[in-house]
Order: sequence, then C-alpha cells, then structure tokens
Amino acid sequence: MSTATRTSAVRRAGSRSGAREPSGPQTPPGSAAVRAPRRRISPERVAAALTLVALLAASIVALNSIGIDPAKMARSWSNAERFFGRVGAITFPEPGELLYFTALTVGLVICGTLLAAVISVPVAYLAASNTTPGNGWRAFARFFGVLTRSIPDVVFAMVFVLIFSLGALPGILAIGIHSIGMISKMFADAIEQIDEGPRLAIRAGGGSKLQEFTAGVLPQVMPSWVATVLHRNDINLRGSVILGYIGVVGLGMQMSFAFKSLDYGLGLGYAVVIFVLCVAMEVVSSAVRAAMLGIQPTGRGLGDRMLRGLRRIRPGSERLGVQAAAASPAAMLRRPWNGERVRNTVWGWIAAAVVVGSILICDIQWGDFITVWAKVPEIAAQFWPPSFGSYDASAMFEAMGETISIALAATLLTVIVSIVVGSLAARNVAPTRGVRAGMRLLLVVVRGIPEIILAIVLIVISGLGTQAGTIALAIGGVGLLGKLLADSFEEVKAGPERALTAAGASRLQVYAGATVPQGLRAMIGHTFYMIDCNIRSATLLGIVGAGGVGYYLLNASQGSHYGIVTAIVLMILVTVLLVEGLAIWMRRVFR
Amino acid sequence: MTNPQTPTDTVITLSSVTKRFGATTALNGVSIEVERGEIVVLLGLSGSGKSTLLRHVDGLEQPTDGSIKVLGENVAGLSGRPLRTLRSKVGFIFQQFELVPSLSVLENVLTGALATLRGPRLGLWSYGRANKLAALGHLDRVGLLDRAYQRADTLSGGQQQRVAIARALMQNPEILLADEPVASLDPESSDQVMALIREIALDRGLTVLCSLHQVDLALSWADRIVGLRHGEVVLDTPTVGLTKAQVMEIYGRVATTTSELQAIEAELLVGSIPDSAR
Repeated sequence: MSTATRTSAVRRAGSRSGAREPSGPQTPPGSAAVRAPRRRISPERVAAALTLVALLAASIVALNSIGIDPAKMARSWSNAERFFGRVGAITFPEPGELLYFTALTVGLVICGTLLAAVISVPVAYLAASNTTPGNGWRAFARFFGVLTRSIPDVVFAMVFVLIFSLGALPGILAIGIHSIGMISKMFADAIEQIDEGPRLAIRAGGGSKLQEFTAGVLPQVMPSWVATVLHRNDINLRGSVILGYIGVVGLGMQMSFAFKSLDYGLGLGYAVVIFVLCVAMEVVSSAVRAAMLGIQPTGRGLGDRMLRGLRRIRPGSERLGVQAAAASPAAMLRRPWNGERVRNTVWGWIAAAVVVGSILICDIQWGDFITVWAKVPEIAAQFWPPSFGSYDASAMFEAMGETISIALAATLLTVIVSIVVGSLAARNVAPTRGVRAGMRLLLVVVRGIPEIILAIVLIVISGLGTQAGTIALAIGGVGLLGKLLADSFEEVKAGPERALTAAGASRLQVYAGATVPQGLRAMIGHTFYMIDCNIRSATLLGIVGAGGVGYYLLNASQGSHYGIVTAIVLMILVTVLLVEGLAIWMRRVFR
Repeated sequence: MTNPQTPTDTVITLSSVTKRFGATTALNGVSIEVERGEIVVLLGLSGSGKSTLLRHVDGLEQPTDGSIKVLGENVAGLSGRPLRTLRSKVGFIFQQFELVPSLSVLENVLTGALATLRGPRLGLWSYGRANKLAALGHLDRVGLLDRAYQRADTLSGGQQQRVAIARALMQNPEILLADEPVASLDPESSDQVMALIREIALDRGLTVLCSLHQVDLALSWADRIVGLRHGEVVLDTPTVGLTKAQVMEIYGRVATTTSELQAIEAELLVGSIPDSAR
C-alpha cells in the first residue's frame, strides 16, 4: 500500500467521522492527533457548567456580604465571655417536668411521623412507576410530595395552631404533612427498586393488583420503609425544637419560654437535654432497625457504632438451621416458638406499646376534628390574598435574598470542609486507617448536633445573628455532606485506581485522576441536595434570630398578618422549587 | 366445549399467534395444540420465543395477531376476575423461582391461593386454617415440610424451585407452565426438580408445557417436543424413537447464522454425538 493511498484512506475515514483535515506541515498525515475525533461539547453541558460557576461566584459574594471573618469572630468572643459571666451555671428543670416534656416531645414526633408514614403508602403507590395506575396519577402524587416537602413544617404549624387549640395536635399534623414529601419519595423509590419477579409470579397465579402489592411488593420494601420512617423520626425530633417557637408544646416551647424570660441558664439546660435526646433517639432507632429487621448495624451513625460495640461483647448465634423434623402437615400448623419468633413478638409488642403511649401522652383532642371544619373558611380567608402588608416589597425580597445568601454561603463553607474531611474519611483515599477512623468519628459527632440547637446556642452566646446562623448551618452540613462524599468515594470502582497506582501515580494523582472523576456526579448531586436543605433550614433560622425571611415569617404570624405569611411562603416555595428543578437538571446533564 | 373430562380434549390452542415488540418479532405465526395430560417441551435457543409463548398462555402478554384458547377460554379477550380465575387454573414455574425472599416458605406457598381469596393478604394468619393445612400438604409433597417457617431466601436454589412448585400446586391447577425451570440449578437439583414435576403431573393428570434448551433432557423427559427458532415452529414431534442426532439435524438444516451453528455444535459436544450428525 503506497503512502498516497493510505493518506486518502485516512482522509475518507476522517471526513466520515467529522474529524479535522490535516492542518499543517508539522503534523504528519495519518498521525493520531489528526485522526482523533474532535471532542463534542453539548450546549447543555456548557450551560450547566456556567450555572455551576455562577453559583460558586454567588456563594463567594454571599460569604463576603454576610461578613464571616475571623477577626470579627474573635471580637465577639468577648460577648461570649460576658454572656457566661452573666448566665452563671446551666440549670435544668425539675425531673418530673423534664420527664413529662421529654415524653411529650418524643410522643408528638412519633405520632407525626407515623401519620406521615400512613398517608405516604397510597401516595408512594401512585408515584412509583411500576405500581401507578396512570401517568396522571403519578404526576399528581409527585406534585403532592414536592409541595408538602417544600412548605416548611413551621408554616403548617402556624396554620394548625390557628385552627386547633394549643397542644400537641398542631405539631403532629405539621410534622405529619411536611414529612409526607420525603417519606413518600423514599417509599416510591423502594417500590421502584423491587425485584419484579415475585410480583409477576403472584399475577401469574391469579392475584389482583392489590394482592400483588400486599404479597409481592410490601414484603420486599418493608425493611427499607421501616428504615426510612425511623430516619425521618430522627429528623423530625430535631425539627420539633423550632415548632416550640410558634406554639407547639414540648421541650422546644419550654426552651423558647426560658430564653424569652431571659433565663439563659435554663434555656441552655433545655438545649443540652434536646441534644442528648437526639443522640439517644439515634441510638434507639439503630437498635430497632437491627432488632426488628435483622439488619446488621453496618451504618456509620452514632447509634450503629454504639450497637456494634455492644454486639462485639455478645456475639449473637444465628439459628437458621433446620427445625425439628416435621411429622405431618397438621402437626406443623402451629408455628414453633423459636428464638426468632419470640424476639419478633416481643419487639412487636414494644413497638405497639410505644405507639399507644405516644398517642396517649399527646392527649389529642379528637373532638377538634369535628369542630374545626366550621373555622376553616374563616381562617383560609385570613391567609388570602397574599400581601406584603405594611412591609416594603423590596425589603421582603432583600430578606429572601439574605436567606439565599445564608444558604449559599453555608453550602460553600460546608463543601470546602467536606471535600477535605470526606475524602480523608474514605477508605480508598485516607493515607492511614487511623486518619479515616478519626475523620469518620468527627463526622458522626458533628452529625449528632442538631443544627437549629447549635444556631440558637451560637446566637445566644455570641450575640451575632446572621453569621452565627450561617456557621451553624455550615457545621451541620459537614456532618451530612462529609458522610455522603466519603461514601460516594468509597463506592467508586477500584479498578481505575489500581490501574493508576500500577502505572506509578502518586496517591494524590490517583485521587485526582481516578477517585474524583468517578465520584464527581455524586458530588454535584450531593452538593445540590445540600443547597436544597440549607435553603429550607435558612428560612427557619430567622425564627430563632439568625436573619433572613424567617424573622418576618414569625413576626407576621405573631401579629396575625396572615396575608404576609402566605406571601413569604410563596416566595420560599418558588425558591425551593427552582433549586430542586436546577438540581434535577444538573443531575441529568452530568450523568 | 363438549366434555372437559374426555382424555383427548385440547386444553391449549394457539392459532397463528404473532407477537411483535416494536421492530422485533418474538413469535411469528405459531400454531400449537396441546391435549389434556400431555407433557410437552418447548425446545429452542435463548431468544427463540419460548418464554414469550408461555407468557401468552397465561395471559401475561397479549398477542399482536392470532388467537389463544386455554381451557376453552379465549385468553386475549379476558380481563379482571375471569382472567384471574383462568390464571389460577394455570400454574407457572419460573427460571428464577420468583419467591418473595423475605416471606416464610409457607406464606410463599399460600400466595398461590390468592386468586380464590378476596382482598389483600399479609401474614400467615390472614389465609385461614384450611389454606394453611393445604399449603403444608403441598410442602410435604415436595419434601420441604420441615422448612415451612424458614425465610424463603435461606433455602438453596433447588429447594426454592420446589417451593415454587408447591405454590403452583396451591392454585390447584389443570395446566403447568414451566419456563426453563432448571436453568439456574446444579445438575443434581435439576434432576430432582424435573423428576418431581413429571411425577406430580402424572399423579394429577396435569398438562405440562415446559421450555428447555437441553436436547438430552427434553428427549428423556417429554412426551412431545415442539422446536422453536426465531419465533417459528420448526419441529413438532413425539419423542418416542427420536434421537438427539435427528433433532439436531433438523436444527442444523434450518440454522442460518454461524452463531446458531456454533450453539448447535456445542450442544452436540455436550452429548458427545459424532460430528457427522451435522
């Protein structure tokens, strides 16, 4: 084959694949540089990348405008010193009162979460692609979920406090409705991930749609559903603090009363109690997961860790072996009382007792459900039309802007810290096992701190508002994002890493060349999730005095200007939906 | 139908059934009749349309063209309760067993009774004593009575397939469909399961339509073989006096692609039949 024919063959191949023609005398015809197809850049990817850059720039501007700088922080330290000098010691309420409010808070949260779980079953059934009766139903269920998730539980609580008499019911309903969004989404995801085979087998045997669901789908999703509900229960317990500020009974309300009456010692005492309660709840839900579902405590939460510690002392003996040889079908009618069944039964009764206890302690005024309907039109009229009342529209938009600034700045801080901590906490990145263990422990401890409590305490101690709120959000975020990043890094395929190591790359080169590129999509997804969470949290921070739109929300509700509440909720709703849409778009583009 | 108990009545009739999924044709004008009590194997390589054909018989797929009659009912026209009733008379055994892993063996068997029950069921107690007793009897029949209260996913593959057979028996079926029932099993479990299906079929006078890809197994096990290739019937003959070489010759004659010929050669080597058969 002569050179000329080879070149022309290359030309043909080149023009077919849309590659560049040979460009100059320096590049010999037929070299790889010539034949390589040009990299395709889709306009959508460019737009997404530009959006990311714009968001980063906005976050930096936000961080500047909030004015988090170490010098100022140091100056505010004198505030803290003065504060502690004034407060003296942390005091606790008397034990009887403490016990009652603790039980009430836990009971209220459990009732709310269970209410959400029950409503979420039909919503998830309609929203899951493999069970939904039609696309219209599916869209409706998803919209319902997004709506309940986007409206803060505080807003629901404001409405329900108006409708119902004060007490536990507004809190239960607020938690119950707000949690539907997340629970139904996770329920639906679990349904979509099932093995369709058993369901098909039941259909082939003549089962109805409903029977397919109960016999083929439910048993498969149950472990995941229970884990979801327990997880949400932990979140709701943390969130219940802020409900106290707008009139929902429990520890949060007691704490807000203490701070309002300037009894800082007692307020901080309640904060400590809530913190301990949150940690205790996480331990309990981990234990319940392990006991009820036989799921080994492999998670990295605080509860799982403590439980693993206990297990190590008492290694459980699994009894899966063959049961006593059966004589006849009739003799096998009764299920034998082996250890497993005894354990399941005991846990079942304990769970039932907890639920009944929760309902009893909430002292629900069931009569309210009959009488409220008369009040609904009147209250609905108060909330409509939305208006900014005596406030200037620009002031409100500025407040919303401040909320977004807090969220973006907090996310930026979180991302920076989390990339370092999360990387070092990943098995395949950490230089030594000790470093990984240390970082994981740090993440667990940070995640144990309820961020709203952290914000309240920081605000009270430092006397700063917005800065304290931003820092509280940022710290709280590290616990979540750091863990998510570490897990994503650990889940990347090990092959490319090994290949780079084998080619002589350094540890940092392997990290940059194999680990990060594989984990990038997850990183972007998690970061947007973080922005999403932070915007929701930032709207609430104002309620405890950390700036942003939450302050106006609380004011409007306390001053009975419900039109303003509606206007603010609409602003929050639009923002949250925008961010969510952006997140969905980003995940799709950077797939 | 005149008399369903006549030993020679036809229980499954496919009349020029065609099924297309988009551009691909899974079944192309397939016509088969199966008499009551016959044990028939659908033989073919993967992708030849065996599974699709079986799914049509149970009304899990609707044909693009042609008609299917099962137990005197026109399957394509059925829906709702009548379809469920028909399905309950047709047991289906899957390659991957398709038990609900987290349920007990007994509850898995009980799900076979769902068509006769109204409303959703969850938990052993919800099926009632009579059903439980029947299910335990079927478990006894497949030799797994002592495993009744274990989780289904703690059993071996062969045991799980036997539980699936018990589940099909729970439907009190007249027809048994089996889609590659032993493709996921080791040779010993395979023999057990195939023997069990045949025994039960003979005991109860069940009609069996079973897809397989192993020629040896099909020849030794079935009364009749229906060969499928690219969604078309290329062979329909009783197994009596039929040799593997003859079967392979037919497949060899109709084979068109090299991959098909290679698959046939591989099959021949397994059975160590002289190469001249091709």
